[in-house]
Amino acid sequence: MAEKKPRTYEGTSDIKIENPDMIICRCEEITLKEILQAISEGASSVNEVKRRTRAGMGLCQGRSCSRLVRKLIAEHTNQKFGSVQPGTVRPPVRPLPLKLLASLEEDSNG
Amino acid sequence: MANPDVVIIGGGIIGTCCAYYLEKEGLKVTLIERGKICSEASKSSQGHLFLWELPAINIKLAKASKKLFWQLNDQLDFDIELRNTGSMSISDSPESFDSLKKTIEDLRIAEVVCELLDANEFTKREPNVTPGIAGGAYFPEDGQLNPLLATIGIAQAAKKLGAEIKTNTLVTGIELSPDKTKVTGVQTGNGKISTKYVVNAAGAWSGQIGEMAGINIPVIPRKGNLIVVENVPDDFVNCKIIIASGYLDSLKVDNKVAVAANVQQTKEGNLLLGSSREFAGFNKEVNPEVISEIAKRCIRFFPSLANLHTIRSWAGLRPYSPDMLPIISDSPIEGFYVATGHEGVGITMGPVTGKLIAQMITEQKTELPVEKLSVNRFEKQS
Repeated sequence: MAEKKPRTYEGTSDIKIENPDMIICRCEEITLKEILQAISEGASSVNEVKRRTRAGMGLCQGRSCSRLVRKLIAEHTNQKFGSVQPGTVRPPVRPLPLKLLASLEEDSNG
Repeated sequence: MANPDVVIIGGGIIGTCCAYYLEKEGLKVTLIERGKICSEASKSSQGHLFLWELPAINIKLAKASKKLFWQLNDQLDFDIELRNTGSMSISDSPESFDSLKKTIEDLRIAEVVCELLDANEFTKREPNVTPGIAGGAYFPEDGQLNPLLATIGIAQAAKKLGAEIKTNTLVTGIELSPDKTKVTGVQTGNGKISTKYVVNAAGAWSGQIGEMAGINIPVIPRKGNLIVVENVPDDFVNCKIIIASGYLDSLKVDNKVAVAANVQQTKEGNLLLGSSREFAGFNKEVNPEVISEIAKRCIRFFPSLANLHTIRSWAGLRPYSPDMLPIISDSPIEGFYVATGHEGVGITMGPVTGKLIAQMITEQKTELPVEKLSVNRFEKQS
């Protein structure tokens, strides 16, 4: 059995991303090509790639694609994986029906 | 490297538009941004091109700016989702409908096109709106764009024309001539830049930059919270911008926090729910009570929102000017210009602000009168 590298170590993962039409952000269907385009136009952080492409704006809020986007930024901007800032996390942490959000105040008071 | 003619401080919609129009006039621009391009109020916006915020001077600026956005649109590398949407205002009580009717009289004097709608007509056009409303109005001239793509696209266009954009660069001081009458340079965390002109486009932080030059700019942050909701079909709202008529009242400063329902659908299909105005210093944290109140008020008008999922909320700091007019102005310091204080209409007024600043610096006749927008108006009061 091949030796398995830990996923969180300081370095790029072994995943090969070569097909330009490969979907990187599944929620918003953003391809490798679109992300590389954003990086080539100057995006050098997860937030900047997101603002240009929508990668990470969808239902999962970048939980799936953020690592891949960081890896791509690191590889194409000569940064270390660990020095590419992950995107900003904001509430709610997972999708929440609006009626629950609307009742937040009463809950906290009662 | 050669010194720039102009240093612009701030990489939001105002700073990037100034950079674009100054480069168009043939000046060499360096834009300095503390973070990344489009990192503060511009990235926190709904992207509404709002053409009916009184007084009349704001409406003139907004109209001119919308026209410029359509011209700019062809010059950019990518689609910024600019479209003519119109907008609607909605009243939940006979009292607020009466107050909307009065506002509409003033708006018509200011040459705003609008159509008054009774409750039946309104809900016929917007079936997802609760039938319990009192009435509303339609404003066909408003528009919408993606504020992130617009700001980044305009920055990219300015860069193509020759502007240098320095991100992650903090301004630490403004250098003046020994007699303190002229600007001579800008000090940054990465060294000094000599220049003849400086444009302060630092939004909610423009007061601090003004202080460095010894100029009183009484702009303070006014926080807004927004909620983004999952994609919904295009017919959820037929008009893409629907705002409670109490919105205009929420602009007034009587309350520390004001909330008004504001439902907008982006071209991608998400709903952006707002809006709030809150004085909370430079605190950019989402206020849970405020977003809960926004959700509640939006559901009151759109009951079917209740079961849709919210995926994110955020807050940004608008640059609030005490008299509700932007500051687009030269200053007592020769070469020091100010472009700030747009509060909720910064995206709307970005291009016209850039154009006016470029016309002032190149000593052309400005296409709109700018006397009332002068920073000197605050000196006279004190």
